[in-house]
Amino acid sequence: MNLKRRHYWTGVLFLLPALIVFLLFFFYPFLQSIYFSFTRWSGSGKPVFIGFENYTNLFSDPHMTDGLKNSLKMAVFGIVVQNPLALLVAILINRQFRTKAFIRTAIYFPVIISLVVASVVWGQLLQYDGFFNEILNRLGFESWTEDWLGTLKTSFPTIILLTQWQAIGYCAIIYLAGLKSIPEDIYEAAELEGAKGFTLFRNITLPMLMPAFTIVLFLTVVGALKLFDLPYILTNGGPGTSSYTLFLAVYNAAFKENNYGYATAGGILLAIFIIVVAIIQLSVTRKREVEL
Amino acid sequence: MERKRASLPTEIILIVVGLLFLFPILYLLQMSFKHPGIFYKPLMLPDRLYLDYYKMALHGDFFRSLWNSTLVTVFGLGLTIAISSMAGYALSRRTDRLFRFVFLLLLTGMIIPTVGSLIPLFKLVTSLHLGNTRSVLVLLYTAGFIPFATFLYSAFTKSIPRELEESASIDGCGPLRMFWVILFPLLLPATGTFILTNVYGIWNDFVTPLIFLNSPEKMTLMPMIVQFMYNRQSTNYGPVFALCVLAMIPLLVLFVFTQRYMLKGLVIGSVKG
Repeated sequence: MNLKRRHYWTGVLFLLPALIVFLLFFFYPFLQSIYFSFTRWSGSGKPVFIGFENYTNLFSDPHMTDGLKNSLKMAVFGIVVQNPLALLVAILINRQFRTKAFIRTAIYFPVIISLVVASVVWGQLLQYDGFFNEILNRLGFESWTEDWLGTLKTSFPTIILLTQWQAIGYCAIIYLAGLKSIPEDIYEAAELEGAKGFTLFRNITLPMLMPAFTIVLFLTVVGALKLFDLPYILTNGGPGTSSYTLFLAVYNAAFKENNYGYATAGGILLAIFIIVVAIIQLSVTRKREVEL
Repeated sequence: MERKRASLPTEIILIVVGLLFLFPILYLLQMSFKHPGIFYKPLMLPDRLYLDYYKMALHGDFFRSLWNSTLVTVFGLGLTIAISSMAGYALSRRTDRLFRFVFLLLLTGMIIPTVGSLIPLFKLVTSLHLGNTRSVLVLLYTAGFIPFATFLYSAFTKSIPRELEESASIDGCGPLRMFWVILFPLLLPATGTFILTNVYGIWNDFVTPLIFLNSPEKMTLMPMIVQFMYNRQSTNYGPVFALCVLAMIPLLVLFVFTQRYMLKGLVIGSVKG
């Protein structure tokens, strides 16, 4: 065996362990899930092929449709409200001031907190006789008090607001990295030309932040689709189906009702949404890289 | 770019915002010290150091789960590092068709979410008799991390000169020894980035152990806390808060010391859904 071939097989050998684990525990189950999504299957016995029935049923199941609607609401809120807030936070943190280290740590800190711990605290704060309602009472807004997580109208909006505690810091980190990558001399040149304030922001900062923006957008939408821990622990999707997310609906269909084929179809639907968003994000980022 | 100084009013607003972000954590902390007499008075602060909740929380279940979480985290990250660093090295040094194909295959792993495959995975794990084992969590985390970690190592390997390997192999060093003794230490920045971006994900994960584990002896911290909370519906949540604080401490310490590196890593890692 010559040296070249030996190098080739050494490379294959180096690749093999990662490839085996990836194929067995990631790729193979993914391919299987496509097949299972076209079957009726309770976990035991043989899956029965039923064509697109699971997929059509998804859209008449309030758990799934409400889950999907809620995820979309959350994604829109994320883009319209959370996104500008995170950018604002990043711009402010990017300035020089004494307490910078403290503020940066405080805003990033929630990012590392588990959603379980977050759920425990928020659940306590938002109870009917909890901290928030008590504050409202003291301030004279008795009529505003609400069982925030237990009322049809408020349960999911409350959960969306709770996600902001961690999402804003996370997105601000990405924006801040984007801000730091903008070369200072571009601003200096523009200022020499007489541009200032908002003009600088609109014509330099915003366009230069596009790559960061697409990443944040992607994370926001995927986060909304995959939200599970908060509604699972805080409301279990209730009251009714008002705080379901798509992931929670899939989980319950599979592991509470043993409706595996159907749940897999829900999982595939969820995966399709995420893949579409990922491809859009990747192609936008690619294009930007070519331009720059 | 770090241009302007913030004005005083801006700084004050930022301090208030920072305190608001810390508020839930501070609230959690004070609840874990609040004795039963004032536990249900949300606006009252603890008037003395009441440690009974910690005594209740620090029982066998906690230590068992702490051990399980540590095992799963260490082995999940360790196995990923061991096999992805080798794969990343191979991918960055070889340009044959097979290697380019594997590169694309792994790229699909960056895009396809695990959510859709949970059910077939559950069945696969049961048929391999790996159901309700910590090993299965290690394997699942590893499988999920492989694409990102491999690309990370592949990118870092490109910055290491090939001459190093050539001179090592002339000296009679075998490829495995050469990789582990000479190259792997040079890839430390990649290893650090990978650990700091993913340690939180494993430690804080709730849904994977919820699906794949069912016996309390194997349970990791997060599902254990939720289970413990459900079992205490009728009594006060003091011990639950104490548990949350205890489960948070290891990551908190890590975060304080590695914040700078972690933030850099998050930006690199944020492309993966």
